[in-house]
Amino acid sequence: MNKPEISNAFTTVGRETPQINAIEKVLGKAVYSADMKMAGMLHAKVLRSPHAHARIVGVHTEEARALPGVHAVLTGDDTPTRMTGIHHKQHRILAAGKVRFIGEEVVAVVAEDEETARDAIDLIRVDYEPLPEVFDTGEALRAGTIEVHDGSGNLACEYNVVRGDVDAAFAQAALVHEDSYETHSQYAGYMEPMATLAWRTSDGRLHILTSTQTAFLQRMRIADAVEMPVSKVRVIQATVGGGFGGKTAEECNSLICAWLATRVDRPVKFVNSRLDDFQGCRSSPPEKIWIKMGVDKDGIIIAKEVKIVADCGAYEGLAGHVLQVSTVRSDNMHRYLKNVRLNGKLAYTNNPPHGALRGFGGPQAAFALNSHIAVMAEKLGLDVVEMLKRNAIKSGDTSVHGFQIGSSGLSECLDQVSDGIGWDSKKTRPKDIGVKRRGIGFGTAIHVSGNREMGNWDGSTVIAKMAPDGRVTLMTGECDMGQGAFTMLAQCCAHELNIPLSQVTVLPTDTDMSPYGHGSIASRVTILAGNAAIKAAREVRERLLTLASEKLGVPKEDLDMANGEVFAKSPAPNQKIPFGDLARLHIYRAGGEALQVTATYDPPTFLAMATPEQYGNVAPGYSFAAQAAEVEVDTETGQVRVLETFVSDDCGKALNPLAVHGQTCGAAVMGIGWALYEQMRYEDGRLLNGNFADYTMPTADSVPYIQSGIVESMEPNGPYGAKGASETAIVPGAAAIANAVYDAIGVRIKTLPITPEKILAGLRAKQAAQDASGASR
Amino acid sequence: MSKKTIEVVVNGRTHRAEVPARRMLSDFLRDDLFLTGTKRGCETGVCGCCSVLIDGEVIKSCLSLAVHADGHEVTTIEGLAVDGVLHPVQEAFVNHGGLQCGYCTPGFIMTTVAMLNDNPNPTEDEIRHGLNGNLCRCTGYVGIVESIKAAAEKLRGN
Amino acid sequence: MKDFDYLEPASIAEASEMMLAHPGGSVMAGGTALMLALRQRMVTPSHVISLRRIRDLRGITHTPAEGLRIGALALHAEVARSPLVRQHAPMLADMASRLANPQVRNQGTIGGNLCYGDPATDPPSCLLALNADVVLRSARGTRVLKVDQFATDYFATALEPGEIVSEIRIPPSAFDAGYHARFLRTAAEHRPLVNFAVSLRKQGDACEDVRMVIGASTRVPTRLRKAEDWMKGKTVTARLAAEVADLGASEIEPISDIRGDGSFRRDMARTACRRTIEDLFNPAGSAATSAA
Repeated sequence: MNKPEISNAFTTVGRETPQINAIEKVLGKAVYSADMKMAGMLHAKVLRSPHAHARIVGVHTEEARALPGVHAVLTGDDTPTRMTGIHHKQHRILAAGKVRFIGEEVVAVVAEDEETARDAIDLIRVDYEPLPEVFDTGEALRAGTIEVHDGSGNLACEYNVVRGDVDAAFAQAALVHEDSYETHSQYAGYMEPMATLAWRTSDGRLHILTSTQTAFLQRMRIADAVEMPVSKVRVIQATVGGGFGGKTAEECNSLICAWLATRVDRPVKFVNSRLDDFQGCRSSPPEKIWIKMGVDKDGIIIAKEVKIVADCGAYEGLAGHVLQVSTVRSDNMHRYLKNVRLNGKLAYTNNPPHGALRGFGGPQAAFALNSHIAVMAEKLGLDVVEMLKRNAIKSGDTSVHGFQIGSSGLSECLDQVSDGIGWDSKKTRPKDIGVKRRGIGFGTAIHVSGNREMGNWDGSTVIAKMAPDGRVTLMTGECDMGQGAFTMLAQCCAHELNIPLSQVTVLPTDTDMSPYGHGSIASRVTILAGNAAIKAAREVRERLLTLASEKLGVPKEDLDMANGEVFAKSPAPNQKIPFGDLARLHIYRAGGEALQVTATYDPPTFLAMATPEQYGNVAPGYSFAAQAAEVEVDTETGQVRVLETFVSDDCGKALNPLAVHGQTCGAAVMGIGWALYEQMRYEDGRLLNGNFADYTMPTADSVPYIQSGIVESMEPNGPYGAKGASETAIVPGAAAIANAVYDAIGVRIKTLPITPEKILAGLRAKQAAQDASGASR
Repeated sequence: MSKKTIEVVVNGRTHRAEVPARRMLSDFLRDDLFLTGTKRGCETGVCGCCSVLIDGEVIKSCLSLAVHADGHEVTTIEGLAVDGVLHPVQEAFVNHGGLQCGYCTPGFIMTTVAMLNDNPNPTEDEIRHGLNGNLCRCTGYVGIVESIKAAAEKLRGN
Repeated sequence: MKDFDYLEPASIAEASEMMLAHPGGSVMAGGTALMLALRQRMVTPSHVISLRRIRDLRGITHTPAEGLRIGALALHAEVARSPLVRQHAPMLADMASRLANPQVRNQGTIGGNLCYGDPATDPPSCLLALNADVVLRSARGTRVLKVDQFATDYFATALEPGEIVSEIRIPPSAFDAGYHARFLRTAAEHRPLVNFAVSLRKQGDACEDVRMVIGASTRVPTRLRKAEDWMKGKTVTARLAAEVADLGASEIEPISDIRGDGSFRRDMARTACRRTIEDLFNPAGSAATSAA
């Protein structure tokens, strides 16, 4: 599929291209789930558990039911007894019998309007019998502790991976260093709270319009949970106001709304309040990461042992996959690493459930790893960028876990970032000694483009249809949640057919009509659906040329196409025919049919996740990134300001640099937020700051102008050489900032987030240590 | 239910409506006038997705009751384009990566229109400070800042 | 939000009567704070009494004898751009121009801010440093309180049933410099962790007279009287600024919550105090431009 030579009059590939739906968005005309209305539509609200672990003793709904305008008040006992979940089916649509976290959905109300539903919620009383609770993962995994799920020992899953001879390698190492790191939970923070509109039709089918990254996975999950055949459930993707991993098959808003629509005779809309969204979402799993690393005298990483304990929260969802990524993936950045011993444990607690978030376990591992490498580089007296480059995996390498690296621009990212931020001069300038001190730090990242993890298929299918006017409509099972996936598909198609981008329409996913797709997860859409779109467009091209050849009596080799016409290359007069004529001809002939092709691309990858060894090439391409951050630390207030940051993303080929820069800058700022500003504050499992005033995401004036660079390593498996670009840049930032803080003030923060209080405590500890060593002399 | 009759000019059209006293301006615009470009993103007045202009000044319509708009002129995102021609701020957001998911976009655009009315040539610091009442999770603000610079330049040229 | 009856009195007297007639009611000025409470059902009033039609609550005027009079319904944005405020109380205009965000400055009012009693805001400490009077009116008459008499506790004021704040008065000042420093815990915060407001009269490098206030980290804005006494009549050096800040920080009773514990807040109050004094006396290299 690699076709680096791009010379096509109408192509937008490689050019800054506004999203194809940008105009409807700036006009305020894009339709998000909460914008939809249907005749007779009712509104849902849920009552959530105030207890982290309790038995539901009684639910009193009489008053709520009696309130005028209330159509239904439903409890866990009304839900199907079938359990729902990703791997482990662990809960019902509403909690029945027990609640396991604060915020768990217990009762749902359906009423004429939102305020009435809310009024009814206030009238419900639930009696709970509190049970012992467990919030700390260490405590949860101790034998004999209270169990969140009976018989589990609170161990949701465990990974053990051993390769090579780790102990021998440690024995040979010139330097061995071990330390522990802790990361915290991040909320997706999409601006559109989850929203769903669901209704039944007289044929008994259930229709669900929702904000989703994974329409087909939602369909599967909802059909299973409400005990309906999959074919009777239809999920339609509305315009999605951001996803970041939070709008995948784990979220419960669409599930509850869908089920409610089976219980009342009118359409039901359920729009999360922001508090609902904070309480009901799956935020990223906090992890405790211990690393022991051995390097040779040149800084080559030769041995690595890692132990991770991650907090699952009350239900497993995708947290097990996230932990797998944290445990295994970052090893694949280092080309000489052959000896590893990894252990990852996922512990159930009574905290709210954790799951998928942009980076999917990568940011946690990268924070620990890049912090650790910076420490070792310093101990070796080696420039950290030099050390990272010496270890950087290269195109053609097979990594320790069997990743076949078709393209790696990691070294080039390191060079670009180093030049972009002025690493050498900033690194060697005299240290600030005043109140405000500057420092600079580095981080690196690897991410997948696709990940074979469901069934043994990681493919993508695109249907291309040509209308009788010659325009093309594409259908896909993947979703656009703002990242620009549909624009990318349209670009690929327009390029192949040499037509203006405006001639291509991409339909939002509708499981009744679109081809099946896993959805927009694992940065998979560009590489997988992009290839499928190219394949489909090339088949359309072939059919147009065949038909035109017949019609014009010109050999196919002498035909070409541009701007919606097939024409003969030799300059004979009138030897051309519009796409529309060909599309009509394709139908209106004996044995004809509308011009429509279906193309699937399934990459040459291996389902390693299903094997205990976790070995093999999981993705058709791997993206890399490097980031440097220059910070200024105020030693009196503990405040850290990011003065400047440069991020380079190796995305293979940037099909749309405007979109790539947008993803990189957005991801980098999300990383800054995670490192410095955002923190889900829990007290005994209760989220204390479930609102944007107290959960402070980065604002425009709290971040610098992100400098974003692109490295085009040209992935052989990629569409025109492209790989994924939407997650990589969230991965390296926290470590870059932590390393910069260390460079500035000599205090290493090993527990995220980097708060003013931790900076000040670190400075005090450092001063005390200096005083003590001074006094002992 | 307590109701009030209000008269409000929205995007140049006068609307007389009887609204419940507890109806927020954002809900009035969305549910009664079907102007769903104005979004709801939080309950704490922080996200700015619901920003509209009242008598030319930017406000958060989720912090205002519909009855408070009585006698005033409201401009929403739907009121910016004239005869299908994008406002220069809208055009700039399209061309300079000022949006991705689009959910915060109407709020940012309304804030920008008011900002550039007050200050036609803002510095980057002034732009960033002026966006304090709006959150975006997609862009990292770079595309938004670029869009505003471009729009300011175009508006000054006109 | 719960259903309520909505009232729009046309005069202060009428508003006062309505408030007495509906003790379960809430008064709404700009609404920025009350709307949040209503939406989250933290308050569920029987009536919302909106003051927006009362003309007597608007306008900003100045007389040499009485100083500034700022109507309680003056928006923060109006305070920020008022030529009268900029001339006669520049630190107030400056504070109002930086407070919260553009939208809230266009919706929130100075009177509403005071009445809500939320400590994590900027105007109360600034007004206390300006020795402002809060004018309260009701059917029974008029009372005039200082800001530290008006703000009695966390989300509590001296307002009595039927009373509303009609205006803020800022008397002619013998001070010739001042600044309101807004300190955020991180750059992404929306509300001040601590603020420090100072009015002073300089004589060369010396401080002849001074009023200093810490807010946002205390239940009510707090005058730093010991620090003021220590500073008066002295030449301001870096060392004096540090002494003043130490004293000032010892005079407050900081609150502790998830946004910052008491000892951190006290440390930050000390730093904000010292830096602001240094900036006022040694503008070179200062981050804060002290308007005076």
